[in-house]
Amino acid sequence: MTEVDHEQTAARQAGTPAPGEDWIAALTSDGPVRDDALRRLHALLLRGARFQVSRMSALRAMVGAAQVEDIITLAADEAMVAVLGKLHAFEGRSRFTTWAYKFAVLQAAVELRRQAWSRREVPLDAAPPLIERRPTPDQYAEGAELAAAVRDAIDRVLTPHQRRIALALIVDEVPIDVLADRLGTNRNALYKTLHDARSRLRAHLSVEGYLVPSPGETR
Amino acid sequence: MTPAERPLPPDALQLLTTDPGPWLSCDDCFRLVDRYVDALLADSTGSTDAELAAMPAHLSGCSACAEEATTLLLLAATDEGLDPAEALHRLTAP
Repeated sequence: MTEVDHEQTAARQAGTPAPGEDWIAALTSDGPVRDDALRRLHALLLRGARFQVSRMSALRAMVGAAQVEDIITLAADEAMVAVLGKLHAFEGRSRFTTWAYKFAVLQAAVELRRQAWSRREVPLDAAPPLIERRPTPDQYAEGAELAAAVRDAIDRVLTPHQRRIALALIVDEVPIDVLADRLGTNRNALYKTLHDARSRLRAHLSVEGYLVPSPGETR
Repeated sequence: MTPAERPLPPDALQLLTTDPGPWLSCDDCFRLVDRYVDALLADSTGSTDAELAAMPAHLSGCSACAEEATTLLLLAATDEGLDPAEALHRLTAP
């Protein structure tokens, strides 16, 4: 018996339903009870998708209002399919509504990023060196030396692939889903590249004396 | 500004020099994010759920996952009638 099973059994013995149990029961029943649960679930997912889109004002402004509504509806519909297909995987370790919301939030965010960037160029191959040619007064302020060291390390320490991904994600702020689409890869692979690049930069900057390694961090 | 003069923004500098923390994939972040958000709102992260320990560093380094986790936290807090301020502050705090 898993930890989750123990928790759900204990909750039942205490006379209180395990988290989400009423939702699961309703969604796996028949007739009007299930129909009502499906309606409530779809309304919940629409709310989640709409709220996510409402928080992405800069990207929302790049697509038309009608397209935004389409994104919200499509995200809720796709999340509905995902939730119903994964009901068996719900462990009751969070509220059911929080678990369900995340599918709508992800779908809405990914789709809006893709739509907003659909006509924008991602200048991957032209990513320039981050070297300022002429020193400015700001460069002599506190931290300028570290900034210069980081710029130098990006060019000298990272692999061409790490440099390209790090610059696109962090400096040019290309959404990770958009970059994954353009490169024919996925969010996991790009985040792994970024994670490795950051580790490599920190190791180099620590050796050079610009940073102090965190406890447990290897040089 | 020519491309060669493109500056390194302060936020980018901070992200590039901050410890990226233990590895956690975006897929695992998605798998855990509902538990993490509910735990933050219940003020119980770190008490027993060691699996959530890598979430703050991941959310600090992945802006897409962080954007989605923030939305989820705000939705859950609203549904529960809770003030999200403290939980939001701890979302990316190690």
